[in-house]
Amino acid sequence: MSTTQAAFAAPPRRSKWSITRGERKNIFIGLAFISPWIFGFLVFLIYPIIYSFQLSFTRYGGILPPEPIGWANYTRMWNDEVFWIAMRATFTYAALAVPIGVVMAMAIAIAMDQPMREIPLYRTVLFLPSVLPLFATSFVFMVLLNPNTGIVNQILRSIGLNPPNWFGDPNWANFSIVLMAQMGAGQVALIFLAGLRGIPPHLYESAQLDGASWAQRFRNITLPLMTPIILYDLIIGISGGIQVFTQAYIITDGGPARSTTYLVFYLYNNAFKYSMQMGYASALGVVIFLLTLVLAGITFLTSKKWVTYDLT
Amino acid sequence: MSQFTHKRVNRRSVLKGAAATGLGLGVASSVYLPTAFAAQEKRQVLAWVTHGEPDLTTLHNIVDAFNEQSETTEVTLEQVQGSETDSAKLITAVRGGTGPDAYMLDRFVVAERAASGLLQDLTDPLTNAGFDPDLTATYLPFAAEEASWQGTPYALPFDTDTRGLFVNLDMIEEIGEDPAKFTLEADPLTWDELKEIMAKLNVEDGGNFTRFGFVPWHEQGHAYTYGFSFGATFVDRAACAVTPDEPAMAAAMDWIKAYSDEFGAAKMQAAVFNPEGSPPTENVFLTNRIGAMITGDWMIATIAKYKPELNYGIAKLPVPEAGMQSTTWAGGWSWVIPYGAREVDGAGEFLAYMSGEPGQRVYTKDTAHLPTVAALMGDPDIFDEVHAKYAEVLLPLSTNRPPLPVGGKYWDELQAAFQAIYLGTSEVGPALESARKNTQDVLDQYCPIE
Repeated sequence: MSTTQAAFAAPPRRSKWSITRGERKNIFIGLAFISPWIFGFLVFLIYPIIYSFQLSFTRYGGILPPEPIGWANYTRMWNDEVFWIAMRATFTYAALAVPIGVVMAMAIAIAMDQPMREIPLYRTVLFLPSVLPLFATSFVFMVLLNPNTGIVNQILRSIGLNPPNWFGDPNWANFSIVLMAQMGAGQVALIFLAGLRGIPPHLYESAQLDGASWAQRFRNITLPLMTPIILYDLIIGISGGIQVFTQAYIITDGGPARSTTYLVFYLYNNAFKYSMQMGYASALGVVIFLLTLVLAGITFLTSKKWVTYDLT
Repeated sequence: MSQFTHKRVNRRSVLKGAAATGLGLGVASSVYLPTAFAAQEKRQVLAWVTHGEPDLTTLHNIVDAFNEQSETTEVTLEQVQGSETDSAKLITAVRGGTGPDAYMLDRFVVAERAASGLLQDLTDPLTNAGFDPDLTATYLPFAAEEASWQGTPYALPFDTDTRGLFVNLDMIEEIGEDPAKFTLEADPLTWDELKEIMAKLNVEDGGNFTRFGFVPWHEQGHAYTYGFSFGATFVDRAACAVTPDEPAMAAAMDWIKAYSDEFGAAKMQAAVFNPEGSPPTENVFLTNRIGAMITGDWMIATIAKYKPELNYGIAKLPVPEAGMQSTTWAGGWSWVIPYGAREVDGAGEFLAYMSGEPGQRVYTKDTAHLPTVAALMGDPDIFDEVHAKYAEVLLPLSTNRPPLPVGGKYWDELQAAFQAIYLGTSEVGPALESARKNTQDVLDQYCPIE
């Protein structure tokens, strides 16, 4: 081989996965930095998921060794009337709480975005309720929505309405918990606010010069550019909605007439109130996990049709 | 130059220091060690309760008294999260190897927890503590039955309670009825007679009741309460079957449904609603919003404390038809030794004291609960007059919820059916059939049962 040929020979081809020594070192350092998180993720998330999956094929009470029973927990779930009642209650809650939550968060974010001198004070006031733990909020709402002495019903009566027994009426209990959930809208509103402030002002200026009204600007500029954040909120909201538990545990005990027996509440009862049902509770956990995964997946897949990342 | 370079530590000064330290420790230990060793010699027992005040103070007092008299065991009492049927804290702690040596558990779920392996057989620890493990020798029969599972003692019964009809006598006089009908000596009314009398107390304003005579499901008006009253047995042990759909239970629920249809469940619900955690002073019976309610003997102490001037009477629970015997039911708590306890014999000694005569004597007197030790019944030293009469009349009329490995599930199913019936979201037959099927599906895992 001549020297000319050697000089023009192509460099050895690197495979897609090959990395240099420096890259390997960087990866190692990077992994070392996030190793506490990796450890926590594996031990406190992945392992329980796998263990729950294993337990879902057993009859288990938490103490005696698990007894393998194949798919029996899943076939029982299919025929379990309470499971389907819990599914209905959970999906009713999520179907109401998630969209109402988006609207509430958007409204609060817009209110937080007003060009006023005292806006930091308003932002604090609007955000404050979402800082309260759900446990405390539950007790506050029990007092507010007391059918006899609660201020909400007193106001409704004073304007001539016949107010409901919020947590005591099976037709209203679930909706009352949906209303309660809006106390947490401030958290999401902060993310929405960041999104609103990220919209280039020149878009609004151009629209205003063209004579667009507030509603037109909102529909054609704000809303489309906020869709990536709405997508994020929907996925988080669906996941949270399917896991609703605390309010039923503290306020309604799953009632009245099972109207607030949510999936996680039913799971908890099976795991810690009923004997030897930890395996069944695990099967419920697996189904809740898969449901959340599927719904988040569907939301994500359909997002291509309605999420706008760029107005151009 | 550093100051430390001047003062070199030589061997002699080290030896001097060590000698002085050793002497000091020796003197201190001569004073401290005998007591320290004495404390170490005692078996350390950790006991958990979920009760709050005022019962918690009494429980602490009993533990203090136990520690003072026991030469071998020292108990530490801790309050933890939990409720009658919710044992999440206990289960997770036992699973994690950090559970207590003794636990105060609702007696009604003893069978359920024993069946899942959470509780220890008490035969040996009680025998070692010199306590007869045959529970029927010491305790009231229903309490002994509830504390056992498959013939084995898994708990020592503690207190008990039973349900009666509490009536506001001022209101009864206001409507011209005879207060003598509402005493423990009187023959029980029928449920229909009670309804008629109480309806006279209803006051409606703007479409809502501002006062209501009697709301059947308020306080202790549960599915079990009416089922027992109408003669339901709830379980067929030989067939390993729950029977919430039996005719007696259906008749009880028919009466409830008719009552609800007549007055309107929503309006009655609103009349008696009180949020969780409301102070006792806001109890609708104490605020004169209702004329009567089914509740337990603990209400005697509550009234004495928060509204001593209230003119009230206590009567036997009504009956379906005149001439029938009134039936009520008793509940209560127990003490158990969970799986994994480190000081089993120490816990056995503590249980024998706490749930035996010494502990129950103090608990009954201080908290106005009823004892389960048969020898304490009617003891004039521990009961006030009202309480003594209450126990004397109503305990013999009491039955108990069937001890089943699905006790918690059965309770939830019965209550769900009961609520669906009185709120009108289901008819009686389908609601009871649902309760039967949902419970039976789980009970089948345990069949046969003794």
